[in-house]
Amino acid sequence: MGGLNTALLIGVSGLDAAQGALDATSNNIANVNTPGYTREEALLNENQESESGNEITGGGVTLDGLQSIRDELLNMQIQQQTSLQSATDTESSSLQQIQAYFTSSGTDIGSALTAFSGSLVQLSANSSNSAAQQGVLSAGQSLASAFNTTASGLASAQTEAQQQVPDTISQINQLTQQIAQLNGQLAQVPAADDGGTTEDQLDQAVQQLAGLTNISVTKTNSGGETITTGNGTPLVIGSQSFNLTSGIGAGDVQKVYDSNGKNITSAISGGTLGGSLNIANTVVPGFMTQLNTLASQFATAFNAAQAAGTDSNGNKGAAFFKGTATLANAAAGISLNLTSPSQIAISSNGAGGGNGNVANLSAALTTALPSGLTPASSYASIVFNVGTATSNANTQSTAIGDNLTQLNNLQGSVSAVNIDEETANMLRYQTAYEAASRIVSTVQVLDNAALNMGSGTSF
Amino acid sequence: MRIDPNMVPEMLANLQQSQSLLDTALQEVSTGLSVNEPSDNPTAAASMVQNTIEAGDLDVYTQNVTTALSTVQQAGSVLSSVVTSLTSAVSAGTEGANGTNSPADLQALAEQVQAILTSVVSAANTSVSGSYLFGGTSTATPYTANPASPTGYTYNGNNNTDSVAIGDQTTVQINQPGSQVFSNATNNVIGSLSSLVSALKGGNPATIETATSGVDSALNYVSQQQVFYGNAETQLNSQETFLQQDKVTLSTQADNLIGVNESTAATDLSEAETDNSAALAAVAKVLPNSLLNFLEPPS
Repeated sequence: MGGLNTALLIGVSGLDAAQGALDATSNNIANVNTPGYTREEALLNENQESESGNEITGGGVTLDGLQSIRDELLNMQIQQQTSLQSATDTESSSLQQIQAYFTSSGTDIGSALTAFSGSLVQLSANSSNSAAQQGVLSAGQSLASAFNTTASGLASAQTEAQQQVPDTISQINQLTQQIAQLNGQLAQVPAADDGGTTEDQLDQAVQQLAGLTNISVTKTNSGGETITTGNGTPLVIGSQSFNLTSGIGAGDVQKVYDSNGKNITSAISGGTLGGSLNIANTVVPGFMTQLNTLASQFATAFNAAQAAGTDSNGNKGAAFFKGTATLANAAAGISLNLTSPSQIAISSNGAGGGNGNVANLSAALTTALPSGLTPASSYASIVFNVGTATSNANTQSTAIGDNLTQLNNLQGSVSAVNIDEETANMLRYQTAYEAASRIVSTVQVLDNAALNMGSGTSF
Repeated sequence: MRIDPNMVPEMLANLQQSQSLLDTALQEVSTGLSVNEPSDNPTAAASMVQNTIEAGDLDVYTQNVTTALSTVQQAGSVLSSVVTSLTSAVSAGTEGANGTNSPADLQALAEQVQAILTSVVSAANTSVSGSYLFGGTSTATPYTANPASPTGYTYNGNNNTDSVAIGDQTTVQINQPGSQVFSNATNNVIGSLSSLVSALKGGNPATIETATSGVDSALNYVSQQQVFYGNAETQLNSQETFLQQDKVTLSTQADNLIGVNESTAATDLSEAETDNSAALAAVAKVLPNSLLNFLEPPS
């Protein structure tokens, strides 16, 4: 049979348990807005009862510790979606910037082509009018400038994306070092125990890393995480991290190397790094090639039409545009070769010979180039490609965003701190603590009563 | 099941979405366009490149038609006046050839025809805003007096013609050189008038008759040349109608591609406004709510 002391010990275990649980509640409330914090629950366990004869006495309660409530599978899904999300966000913001150059603004290539075509039509009715001739020259100049501006817009989007690569890689290296360190700390925690704060920090760091590049995460026995890139290049193994490096290779191609110097660019698809690489190495060069082809073929076709006629000075038409000899630099380099309106080859049969060649000059704008498309259609197809790429990136970003919101909601439903729940718990533990302390004080009164039994004097 | 207690991210996402819808609706209403950048509708944006160029050309074609029409009409009316002049020269010649005229009468007739010749030459030298109607493409005065020439005048222009673009792949020739109209090898208007003047001065009725029939055939020839300008005028007028229709077609196409239906846009805007206000009201109402608000403050 248990004595009063048993009741006292059970009461004290209740006090301890309530106090520990209050600690958990208090920590949860304190961290309600901390990113990456997972709520803690006090693990309370009933103590083994003791038997004495036929009598069974309860053993009180033990606080086994505080357990963080997390769902590893959800974490992994969130990491994957975060990688995709930041890749499309990076692409979307670059493309948004690029498409401004292809939006009808009055200074874009489309508007300049419109003005150039109109100036030639006007010239056909006023071929001897120097204002109409100057009009053609100015419109040609604007068209060349529009090509230059668009090309430099594309180039700066590419440079910006290229510059983002080393920045992102240094963030990746910093995070992998941090993760390796946290892995080391987790290795000290017994496997059965919860990693608590360290694990929260690890999850948070891995989450950030997933936003920077696509990664594959494997849990190790020690509770740490092995992290590799998409193609299995190790980034973190145990407490060791491996740094990535970057550089610009031949053809202005941005490259990423692993710690052994091996080129792993093609394996990187997600995160800010994947997005930047895609913009710098694929998207912008694709648009640039189309733009250069257009600039070069258009200049050649127009110069040929110009060469077919005679200018007002009686000379064979000189090249109208120049600077497109190097295809890779055609759009950036195109400029006006003519310096005077009198050099426009208006006549098709000698000096002062009518305006027969104006129709040829106009036709150069509506005749298919070697690409199979007219200059206008060729430009329209670039507009279509830029528009589609931007719209796809935007749509994808929204879709992944929705998905991610849902996953975050799910994760929140498992791990986030609910103030109402914590408040209710606080009241619960408060009551329990009050009740347990009442036990202790009651036992003390009973002890006194027992000691005073049969004694004249009271203790 | 436990639910996600943190409503802030979702509320912010909802707010952001309703604000972006509001932005889009506002932009559509204020610009009147549903496609403001290529990503709004890549196909429409691409089609608009061609549409804008065609619409731009169309405006200039219309200007060209107006300019060409005025040139052609002026040339036509100059030729009409030349026909009238030649008709009176033929009457003068016929009168001179009847053999009953005194030398003084013949002299008077010769002076009359000389005056007609001068007026025809001045008609042939008509210029419109600095360029000559019958000088080919030359900028020199087409006919100048030249005593050495058998006709008394030299043609200084060239044989070229100008064609004006009035549509895609459509041009119209707007002039005929003076060498064709006034000093043609077979029907030389100026030459025949000069011959008539000389014949009248010479007084031989047979010569006068031959010269008169020369002027008569020149008269027929000029009448035929009028047809050229008449045809050009008809072509220009029908092209003007076509261009007007084409402009309507193009602007309808543009409106279908990137225009916005005003009533839909207005409805979208008011819907977006309501959504946005509702989202804001919900945030304001829900966020401050918690169990703590209902607990007694600790005594």
